[in-house]
Amino acid sequence: MHPAFTLVHQEVINLSKKLIPYLLLVPTFLIIGLFIYYPAVMTFQKSFYRVSPFGNRVFFVGLKNFESLFESPSYQQEAVTTLIFVVVSIFVGLVISLLFSLLLNEKVPGIGIFRTIIFSPYAVSPAIAGMLWSFLLNPVVGYVSYAFLRIFGVQTHWLTSYPAALMAIIVATIWQNLGFNIIFFLSGLQGIPESYYEAARIDGAGAVKRFFNITVPLLSPITFYLAIMDVTFTMFSSFGIIDIMTQGGPGNTTTTFIYRLYRDGFIYFNSGMASAESIVLILIMGIVTFIYFKFVQKAVHYR
Amino acid sequence: MWRKFMVFGMVLVFAVSFLLAAPVTIRFWHAMNGPLGEMVQKLVKEFNQTHPNIVVKADYAGSYSETLSKTIAAVKGGNPPDIVQIYDIGTQMMIDSGVIVPIQKFINEDKSFDVNTLIPQVRGYYTVGGKLYSMPFNSSNPVIYYNKTLFEKAGLNPDNPPTTWKQFEEVARKLTVKKNGKTIQYGFTSGLIGWFFEQYMAVQNALMFNNGNGRIKRATKAVFDSPAGLRIFNFWNNMIQEGIMINGGPGWDNANAIFASQKAAMLLDSTSDVGMMLAEAKQGHWELGVMALPHPANVPYGGVIIGGASLWMINTHNTMKEKAAWEFLKWLEQAKQQVQWSEGTGYFPINKNAITKMMYEGFYAKYPQYLTTVFQLLMSKVDYATRGGVTGVFPKIRATIEQALSKVFDHAMTPAQALKWAQDQADQAMAQYNSLYQ
Repeated sequence: MHPAFTLVHQEVINLSKKLIPYLLLVPTFLIIGLFIYYPAVMTFQKSFYRVSPFGNRVFFVGLKNFESLFESPSYQQEAVTTLIFVVVSIFVGLVISLLFSLLLNEKVPGIGIFRTIIFSPYAVSPAIAGMLWSFLLNPVVGYVSYAFLRIFGVQTHWLTSYPAALMAIIVATIWQNLGFNIIFFLSGLQGIPESYYEAARIDGAGAVKRFFNITVPLLSPITFYLAIMDVTFTMFSSFGIIDIMTQGGPGNTTTTFIYRLYRDGFIYFNSGMASAESIVLILIMGIVTFIYFKFVQKAVHYR
Repeated sequence: MWRKFMVFGMVLVFAVSFLLAAPVTIRFWHAMNGPLGEMVQKLVKEFNQTHPNIVVKADYAGSYSETLSKTIAAVKGGNPPDIVQIYDIGTQMMIDSGVIVPIQKFINEDKSFDVNTLIPQVRGYYTVGGKLYSMPFNSSNPVIYYNKTLFEKAGLNPDNPPTTWKQFEEVARKLTVKKNGKTIQYGFTSGLIGWFFEQYMAVQNALMFNNGNGRIKRATKAVFDSPAGLRIFNFWNNMIQEGIMINGGPGWDNANAIFASQKAAMLLDSTSDVGMMLAEAKQGHWELGVMALPHPANVPYGGVIIGGASLWMINTHNTMKEKAAWEFLKWLEQAKQQVQWSEGTGYFPINKNAITKMMYEGFYAKYPQYLTTVFQLLMSKVDYATRGGVTGVFPKIRATIEQALSKVFDHAMTPAQALKWAQDQADQAMAQYNSLYQ
């Protein structure tokens, strides 16, 4: 064959080797672009407008949507509600999950069945979780209400009074997320060599000391990951639980940012305001993630 | 060559005639689920069978909010349904949408349709600025269900329910039963639903908004922070504080469950639940009574406002489809269909002749509970107060009033403070919405 041909042939192969990765990425970028970036840009644009329900009237209002958001007492109340909801759900959720993981790490016969049972809440959608807990907490026919009545003699109106409603959605959220947290904790626990514990036992360390000095530090990468994943869950997916159980009520007391966004967008049809709230949420998540990775990462013990 | 043309010509003629003879397809989005949805499908099937040149495709589109949401998206996407069911408080939003065809247009053109067959109160709700915009379909009323068996147990005459607020409180007092210091039965319960507040305003012939409740001109201010409004807040709050009423919380289901399980003897609810309540009473072996809303004795009686939804025609710029859609709407309004719909669902008929028919056929004699539902409405005045308010931000205003009531029941605000707060919020929301339609 002609040497020039071989040269060109080689060039083409080299070029295509460089191009193929990018070509393979095109479908993904198309989908991300169409379903995530494009709507995000449109939302950003819309947040500066006042829009009629059918979109036939638009009115540029600059930062007015954001101003009225930050000035409104209900938004401030929702900020507090969101903070309480997220922090309590994650903290209590992680503690309970860790305790369950320790228990589920024991080598007893039938442990697999227990693990499956504990994991199953995560397999249902937040809406189903909401339905289940609504039923359990129903003041007339719910098992939890009945148990409370028999044990404490108190008739709590779980979903219709404050702060019971907030506690109810926190409990439902923790319940739902148990499986997710436990799976990761279990794998983390199983990655800790038994030799560490043996060495500690020989040195005379008690169970509590072993837990806080060995288990917790060595689990910290997992905990770090789980915490930020749980933030995402409680900020966004919890919408399903809130919508089914309390619809943001009573009053405004179980309305988190995401629920208010849904309400402003799809019940009040105020899409300009909902877009503004969307942008605020993006900023909050961005700031939280940044702070988290910059400062909290220092506390993580990597081997 | 000739043959080719002939074949081609025949195929063309065949295709064109096929197209011309093809039935017109109408898409109808509704928010009726469960047995209500089945009833809709039944009616649609009957219409399709009796009108071979029209095919109506009815689809359940979710709740009222979801249906409106989907309609907005479909309009923006350029492929909207032909007929859509929109809730009562969406009326101003639909008028402002610029994408609907007011029914009045067809009423003016079609001499075969007599708009006077519509019950005046129902017609009045969907008439704004002198035009009937949508075809009424499922209309409801507020009523108070009561447990006749519990009435008897308390020594009250079950066939003599209270008609004034004072009587109502006395009855609720008698029906509240305590055991070992705990209340095991409340006289009254109600969900925290803004619609009920609007109803009691109409009962007192009071307006929610200015400009004739938004029916003369676009409403610009809320006016429900009035003596009438305060009376309502106090009426409920006093009963809650006294312990003769239990707060059913947000939504309908909780309060309904409390009443159905006989933990409360009276329930403020809608006529659309009459079927369900009759079934609950049968299952629980107690007798269901239905009473009209009581009114304050010293205030002139106005009436009640209809709730529910109506059918709107979307402007698809397709005359054939619009004609077909109009045929469907006309047919639904006919007495025969209204009788079927009402007897099967508990919504009362919107057609006067249907009511007469059901009367003569003995339906109301057999089910007196259904009669109360119609009776209260027909006794209502037809004026701006009883026709109900119209504004583009009604969903938000209704929720605001619900929040205000919540604040009152939780002692976070006094009734007067809460009412004023609610009105201020309403004014703000209306101003923002109206700024789009300067």
